[in-house]
Amino acid sequence: MSVDLDQTPRSLLISERSSFLDEKSRISSQVEQQHFNYKVSVLLPECGPTPSHLDSVLNSFSSFYLIRQLPIYELLDKHFLETAVYQGSVYGLSYRTRVDEENCVALMPNGRLCLSLDKDSFQVLGVEGKPSRFNHRANSRYVVSVDLTDSSMAPGGRGYLRLLTGLRSRLHLKTDFVLSHHPGGGASLQSLLSRHDWSEHRPEISHHALTNLSCPALPTSDLQSCDPHSFLEWLGAMDADVSCENSSSSFLSSLVCPEPKTTLSRALSVSVCGLLLPQDIHRLIQELRCYLEQPRLESWASLTVHGFVDSPVSWGGGEHGVLRGGENLYTLLMFHDHTYHLHLATGAHDTCPP
Amino acid sequence: MDEALVRARIPQDLVKVLGVESQSSSKAEAFTQAFLKNSIQQHARHDLKSMLSHKAVVLGYSRPKKDKTRRNSKKAKGLNARQKRAMKIFQIKPEHQRYELFLPLHELWRQYIIDLCNGLKPTCSPQSVQQKLLKADFHGAIITVLRSKCPSYVGTTGILVQEFKHVFKIITKEDRLKVIPKRNSVFTVEINGFISHIYGSKFEQRAGERSAKRFKVRGTLDL
Repeated sequence: MSVDLDQTPRSLLISERSSFLDEKSRISSQVEQQHFNYKVSVLLPECGPTPSHLDSVLNSFSSFYLIRQLPIYELLDKHFLETAVYQGSVYGLSYRTRVDEENCVALMPNGRLCLSLDKDSFQVLGVEGKPSRFNHRANSRYVVSVDLTDSSMAPGGRGYLRLLTGLRSRLHLKTDFVLSHHPGGGASLQSLLSRHDWSEHRPEISHHALTNLSCPALPTSDLQSCDPHSFLEWLGAMDADVSCENSSSSFLSSLVCPEPKTTLSRALSVSVCGLLLPQDIHRLIQELRCYLEQPRLESWASLTVHGFVDSPVSWGGGEHGVLRGGENLYTLLMFHDHTYHLHLATGAHDTCPP
Repeated sequence: MDEALVRARIPQDLVKVLGVESQSSSKAEAFTQAFLKNSIQQHARHDLKSMLSHKAVVLGYSRPKKDKTRRNSKKAKGLNARQKRAMKIFQIKPEHQRYELFLPLHELWRQYIIDLCNGLKPTCSPQSVQQKLLKADFHGAIITVLRSKCPSYVGTTGILVQEFKHVFKIITKEDRLKVIPKRNSVFTVEINGFISHIYGSKFEQRAGERSAKRFKVRGTLDL
C-alpha cells in the first residue's frame, strides 16, 4: 500500500537482532519496560493443534480486575499503598478513556502515578505538572506524574495531601480502572476492591488454524531475506486473517506476501487479550524457545505484543499519545538456534522505544 | 555722526576754491527740509514725522509678582505615589497580620453586599446580583482561587485585605499574607448561597476605577 509520505504522521520502527544466549541482549528489559500489554499473538507455522505446554502457559496468565467508576483518590489510600504499591508491583490503567479526549490515569509498577489531563482539569486540580510533549502550538494536554514511593509523597506529607485534596475536593476524577498485581494476585488488592463495584476477568484466549498460506522464506538469521515493513505487514494480515493472494477478482485487499516465499500447509495463530503482565510474557517466550528447540518443519515462531492504545505511558514511562493511531507494539521473531529479530514499532505521538 | 561737524561752517579759504558759500543756520535748515521733502517719495498714508520720531518699544512683559503664600494655606495637598510608597502606608505590619482581626471586616462586607442587593433573598435573580457585584468593592470578601494557569495558586482561600490594579492581597487562615496576581486565574466569591466566579484577567482595574467601567458580555473565557 503506498501512502503519500508527506501526509503521513511519522512512525518509528526499530529492528534489532540478537541472541537469547548473548549476555548483552536487552530483550528481558525491553519486555519488562512495556508495562501495559493488551494483546499477545503467537504465530506457529506448520503446527496443528496447540501444543499442551503452550496451552498451560497461556492458561496460567494472571487474572486482572475491573473496577467501575473508581474515584482516583482511592489509589492514594494509605492501606492500599502499604499493602500493594510498596510491596510488589501494581499495574493499573484507566479503562475506556481516550487519551486524546479525556483524562487518563496509569499506575506503574515502580510506584509512579501518571495522570494525563486536559487543560481545564489540570487548571482545576492544582498540582504541578508539565505540558504534554505532543501539544501542537497551544497547550491543550498536561501530564502530572508523581512518584508514590518518594519521601515527599509519603502519606501525610505535603505533596501527598495536596494531591489528595486536589483529587478529592477540587477535581472529582472517576474512571473505570483495570488493575493487576504481581506477584500477590488479588489478595493485596482486596481492600481496595471491596469498597467498589469490581469484577475479575481472565485473559481471553482464541485459537485460529490457518491452512494453505504463503509465507516468506525465513532462513535462520539471514539479513536480507525480507525487510521488516513487509514482514510485519504480512504478519498483521495473518493475525487478522486477511488473504494475501491479491487475486484480480477481489478488491478487498492488495496485501501480498513478501518475496521470496514458500507455502505452508497449515499454521496456528493464538491470541490472548486482557491486561497482561510482562512477567507472563517472559514465561511465554521461554516456553516458545523450548518449543523451537525440538526439530520442526519450519524453524521459527513469531510473537507480537500490543500495548494499550489509550495508555498515557509507553515504554519505561515515556509519554504516549494518539494521533491517527496509538500503536505501540513489538514483534519477536524467534529461531531455533536461540537467535531472534526484534521489531519495535510506535506511532506518531510516542517516544523512542528502548 | 557728530551733529556739530555737519553744521560747521566751511572754512574761509575753501570758500573761494569750492565756489560755495555757507548759509546761515536758519536758512540752511530750511533748505535741508525743502531738499528732503522734494527728494523723498511722499506717501499720503505715512506720517513721516511720526515715523522718524523716537518711540519707545516694549521688549518684554513682566507683571509684578503677587504674594502666593496666603492662598495655599487653605488647601491640603495630597501625597503623590512615590511619597506614599516611601511612607509604606500600603504595607501591613506583621503584628497586624492576623486572620481574626479581619473577620469583623468580612462581616461588614457581607452587610454591605446584602444592602447593595436590597436584601439577598434566595429568590433574587443571579443576573441582578451579578450586575451589582461588578461595581461593588471586594475588600473584606472571602475569595478562593478556583482555577489558575499556575497550579500552586489553586485552592488558596482567605479574606481580601487589599485590592490593587493587578493583584489581590489576601490573608489566609494560617495568618499568611498572600499576593495573588489577578491574571490567568478564576476566583470564587460566595455570599448567602450565591457563588460568583470572577475571571481575574478581565478584572484588572483599581477598585475605585472598576465602579465606573462597563464590562462587555463575552461568551466563554479561556484561561
